[in-house]
Amino acid sequence: MGSSVRKAIELILSADPELLNILSTTARVCLTSSILALIIGVPVGILFGAERFPGRKILLVLNRTLIGMPPVVCGLLFYMLFSGVGPFRHLKLLFTVKLMIIAQVVLITPIIIGVMETFVADTAPALRETARGLGFGRIKEYRLLVNECLYSIFSAYLLSFARAIAEVGAVAMVGGAIAWKTNVMTTAIMMYTNRGSFTLGIALGLILLTLSLIVNIVLSLMQGRLSR
Amino acid sequence: MKKIVSLLLALMMIAALCACGQAAAPAAATAPAADTPAPAEEPAPVEEPAPADALVVDTCILKEADDAMINNYSLLAVNPDAPFADADGNAVADVELNTVGAAALINWLLSEEGQELAANYGFEQYGEYLFYLKDGRPVSSAEIPAATEETKKIRLSTTTSVNDSGLLGYLLPVFEEKYGYEVEVYSAGTGKSIANAKMGNADLILVHSKKQEEAFIEDGFSYVIDGMDAERLNWMYNYFVLCGPSADPAGVKDAADVKAAFKAIADGKFTFISRGDGSGTHTKEISLWPEELGITAEAESFKDYTDWYVSANTGMGACLVMAEEMKAYILTDKATFLTFVANDGVMG
Repeated sequence: MGSSVRKAIELILSADPELLNILSTTARVCLTSSILALIIGVPVGILFGAERFPGRKILLVLNRTLIGMPPVVCGLLFYMLFSGVGPFRHLKLLFTVKLMIIAQVVLITPIIIGVMETFVADTAPALRETARGLGFGRIKEYRLLVNECLYSIFSAYLLSFARAIAEVGAVAMVGGAIAWKTNVMTTAIMMYTNRGSFTLGIALGLILLTLSLIVNIVLSLMQGRLSR
Repeated sequence: MKKIVSLLLALMMIAALCACGQAAAPAAATAPAADTPAPAEEPAPVEEPAPADALVVDTCILKEADDAMINNYSLLAVNPDAPFADADGNAVADVELNTVGAAALINWLLSEEGQELAANYGFEQYGEYLFYLKDGRPVSSAEIPAATEETKKIRLSTTTSVNDSGLLGYLLPVFEEKYGYEVEVYSAGTGKSIANAKMGNADLILVHSKKQEEAFIEDGFSYVIDGMDAERLNWMYNYFVLCGPSADPAGVKDAADVKAAFKAIADGKFTFISRGDGSGTHTKEISLWPEELGITAEAESFKDYTDWYVSANTGMGACLVMAEEMKAYILTDKATFLTFVANDGVMG
């Protein structure tokens, strides 16, 4: 393990071009996918939490099922759809970063919807009463709700970013772990493990965890400021 | 104040991470063994915490250069008119393949320059040639067109051994630089590589399992490119080697041939690590067991041998690490084994 730590430090200090490529691909994939998922998931989640409409319960159950979808199943699905023989073959997206992002958005959005729904369903009734009492319109009522949600939006984002950066099944299937193109940290770790280079795998894992830590510290500080 | 606290926390976490890491090391090293049935013998006791670069590899080559152990590598261009079918078995007619690029790469690999590079690979680093050129191999002197916007991207689906041994990383940049192509390497076991090509996701394949290649051709997935006289372009080879602990408890060193050696392992129930992943090496290994054992790729076929037959279902390097840990026998291609030994059993 000592040698893994040493190797991790060596790798970072040497600015190994392949490592830098892997890091930038990782950042691109998981930042884009988590932000896209946030953009889609937050409004849907708030809607699910604040409104009561027919079919809501069924949709929620479906959403909870999707939260539990194994990444590799999601990857397999997209592999089949975008494969050379699949229905979307003309888009030529298989083994590209774009498809990795799409697959991750599908994986992560349900999480954000779930977190937002839980929070909003809890706060909305009381807030709505206050808003009605103050004579607010519907739009103003929602603005108040979103304002109230900021903290949990951050929590949802942290959760989805963590899922995106840690996930390997989907990106390995649809990305193919092609060097210099679709290889991200997790697929690289898997590749080295299969190859038997456990030390290098752990070294990459340490770098990944450290990066994740830094991102989380920054976001948590921002979240702390928000809550004040 | 809050900031200082979080910074302190962060530092603590980093320290904890390193500390946990120290403890996690042996666990990580033995992890692959966890999902296999308990082997007959005790797993090797946890080694004294020597640094990884001081490890000495005990696993060594016990049987090699037997005619039954030749490991043939072949190139096959994927046929654009192959009977591609989607997951439901419906025919798909318009699968787009880069046939020009595939032919260019094949012609270059079979050209004098490509062949010479492949034949010399490894000598500088390992003191031994890793791949040999076959007698009567197909040779190409066809002119290689420079890449155009449409033909630039070549998708090569290949087996892990040519990628992990570093051969492709050595050859392809030369080709890419000279002609402007970009080769995307998808590397998996032969079984998965071929499946990937059958789904229309590869322009050519480089694999090493004659049986699976012939089935691929028979199903119409390959075709004869201009200037060649067969679909299967078998141009280089090396040897599979039977490796095991230097003490060689099964005595395979003295076995008459490799089949006898496999019989000795099975008779004595000595731990054997099988790739178990449908790769070329796995296919080869299955063909070497005594027929009466009836070992095939199906899990059902070796359920009675789980006390010594370990189906690892992972890459060659990981299997070698496992064999080293469990003092087990293993069939491997020589290139990967030499790379493994050269790196003191840690594979880079």
